[in-house]
Amino acid sequence: MASPAPILAARGVSKAFFGNPVLRDVSIALMPGRVHALLGENGAGKSTLINLLSGALRPDSGAIEIDGKAVSRHSPADARRAGIAVVQQELSLTASLSIAENIGLGAYPRRFGLVDYPALAARAKAACDLVGLNEPLSTPVGELSLGRRQMVEIAKALYRKPRVLILDEPTSSLSSTETRILTALLEKLRGEGIAILYISHRLDEVMQLCQHVTVLKDGACTADRALEGVNAAGLVRLMVGRDPGDLFPRWDSTRMDRTAVAVRKLSAGLMRDVDLDVRAGEVVGIGGLVGQGQEDLLLGLYGAIPAKVASATIHGVSGLPGNVPEANERGLAYVPADRKREGLHLIHPIVTNLMLPSFARMPALKLRSRAKERETAMGLALQFAIKGDLGRAAQALSGGNQQKVALAKWMPLNPSVLLLNDPTRGVDVETKREIYAMLRGFAAAGKAVVLLSSDTPELVHLCDRVAVVRDGRIVTLLERGELSEEAIVAAAMGAERERQAA
Amino acid sequence: MSNTTLSPPARSGSLYWAIQAKRNIGVRGLFLVVLGFMVAYGFLFHGLFTGSGFAKFTQSWFPLALVAMAQAILMLTGGISLAIGALVSLGAVLAATTITGPLGVAGGTALVCLAGLGIGAVTGIIVVRLRLPAIVVTLAGSFIIAGAALLVLPRPGGAMPPWLSDLLAGNTPAAFGVLVVVVLLWKLYLATPLGLSLYAAGENPVGAYRSGVPVDAARIAAYAISGLLCTGAGLFVAAQTGSGDPIIGNSFTLNSIAAAVLGGIGFLGGQGTMRGALAGSLLLSLMISVMFFLGFTPVAQYVAQGLIIIGAVAIPQFRMRAR
Repeated sequence: MASPAPILAARGVSKAFFGNPVLRDVSIALMPGRVHALLGENGAGKSTLINLLSGALRPDSGAIEIDGKAVSRHSPADARRAGIAVVQQELSLTASLSIAENIGLGAYPRRFGLVDYPALAARAKAACDLVGLNEPLSTPVGELSLGRRQMVEIAKALYRKPRVLILDEPTSSLSSTETRILTALLEKLRGEGIAILYISHRLDEVMQLCQHVTVLKDGACTADRALEGVNAAGLVRLMVGRDPGDLFPRWDSTRMDRTAVAVRKLSAGLMRDVDLDVRAGEVVGIGGLVGQGQEDLLLGLYGAIPAKVASATIHGVSGLPGNVPEANERGLAYVPADRKREGLHLIHPIVTNLMLPSFARMPALKLRSRAKERETAMGLALQFAIKGDLGRAAQALSGGNQQKVALAKWMPLNPSVLLLNDPTRGVDVETKREIYAMLRGFAAAGKAVVLLSSDTPELVHLCDRVAVVRDGRIVTLLERGELSEEAIVAAAMGAERERQAA
Repeated sequence: MSNTTLSPPARSGSLYWAIQAKRNIGVRGLFLVVLGFMVAYGFLFHGLFTGSGFAKFTQSWFPLALVAMAQAILMLTGGISLAIGALVSLGAVLAATTITGPLGVAGGTALVCLAGLGIGAVTGIIVVRLRLPAIVVTLAGSFIIAGAALLVLPRPGGAMPPWLSDLLAGNTPAAFGVLVVVVLLWKLYLATPLGLSLYAAGENPVGAYRSGVPVDAARIAAYAISGLLCTGAGLFVAAQTGSGDPIIGNSFTLNSIAAAVLGGIGFLGGQGTMRGALAGSLLLSLMISVMFFLGFTPVAQYVAQGLIIIGAVAIPQFRMRAR
């Protein structure tokens, strides 16, 4: 298959952030006239690889090659000149400019130093026709739906007449009609000899559209082969699987009959019509690809964003909490994923952070007792093995210890339902082990734990049941016996095995 | 990419005009309010539609229009300036000390313009390259610039050639003519790739950078142009009063923000249009005149002005939430 030279290639590239390896010795070659799929779980290193190919990042080792020749400096501008166009997930559009002005942005045709509007109109129109955008070119992009904006973004890439087109989850916000147009377009571009790199979590699309696949797992390449003769299950298997070692505590069922939380037809943020039951003493996992609405489910239960339900019962009391203080009053506690911005007050002392939820319970104008606060905080620090002087600012702690503070601060309220949003993200292995043991400990103590996680092994090894979310709905509810990384990833990506659970 | 022949633009330049027409959508309501105040003012002050009445009114509006533009350009890039008033003062004292002095009209005017461009560019470089908050840099800048104005002219004084004062602030609508030229030059700038990039650089700098837009250059250029407009307004104020005053510009800082906000310019960058900012400044001028003719006391004028500005910001918000 190596007859023509690849237009763009990475040879043995590695990249680490803050000593944390993200890509290890990965190679990929984009051939003219081929649609190349790039697959991998969240955090497998796909975005980093795209950034290396587009010049936004430089590899620590290894080389980027254009037309078979290694390039020493590869900046975004160099990449553009070489004909590499990237359609990123975050759009690069300006709402107040028109469709045409957005498409031409950064590469306007000029006449006498001014933007040549007639030429821009003609070229933008040609690009829009390709992607089926029929809105007037003068329409401000701010008036378009997300899906149409995505099409503008693709038209913007085509306007530059690329030789290499990199698409990062282009269909995530497209309607089925738009997806069909895009699929036909990519077929056509492939026929014209353009090299296409296609990142998608929809395996059916990948199977239909692509000829070659590279699979990344934990920053390493686990497959680089033709798609012919591979099925969806095979691809999923290449993406998952890691030796859990002794990271996870032994799992014993501590589930009780008492229902802690029961909601019917909950709609909040991206989530639509979700039914969920959580019993006391169990850990219920919320899985799925990042950004499918999982966070909104937790925030909706917590009263932090507006939510609608057909019925809801929390500890026998009906109705969802309308705000956070009410949620705390009713025994709910929430630990956010972004501990630096939402979970902690970094510049304030650890002791203040630990006491913050308790302050909310105290009479507003009663004098504080420093000695008592210190005593409580010391107890929490001991229980959660939080190291270091409690008088120091929370930012002095390591990520793992910060996370323990964010969790420990709720304990004085003795919450009966813990809503945890990715509690082990960016946490070192040792702390992960501690947090996992705590979670099972909470369940054993009769608390209900809802664990939203982007780490699939975590869901498999800690949870009694896992609800997999896709497009704002729970698509599958996997019971303990059916839990496996394959099953979760397959459900998250919509590959087979769908809704086989009750 | 071959079907370029499919429905070519109806006529050359039609896209440009279609885009211009769409940009009116957000400010139509404002135009109506301005029109209403204009009618009210014309009703109260019959002289408005005579040559000299129109000249006088546009002269009172002109410096506010310039500083509103100066502020709006920066707000479009996601910045703001608290040094507008100090720059106006500096422009005024430089004009009043050099134009009748050794440099003459051409040299003095050039000095005023260069001072504005230069100070603006330096401010822009500090904000953009060092990534410092614009509000702090321009606040510090306002102290330095105001100090410089006091060094040039410690107390009101200096002089402007009487013929220049007559030309700009006499009975002819020359000021209005200058404003038309300034607006045309702005339209021309906005039709250049750098000028148009201002919106992208303000609203989505990361996306603009990835698209190959020279984001830093676009923002620094905006600061330079803003400075030029401010010292230009200072020159006009000096011509109006016939002398230089080192603190005459003070009120312009907050009024420029008020005018831009009235005109629908957002604080987050990339939101709003220059025609909106100009209409906002016109509305502010008209409001002051109308309230003066209605016999409002100065205190009542300030209160009413404040309420109207809050209302102008709140109404679009309510309309958005109602949707």
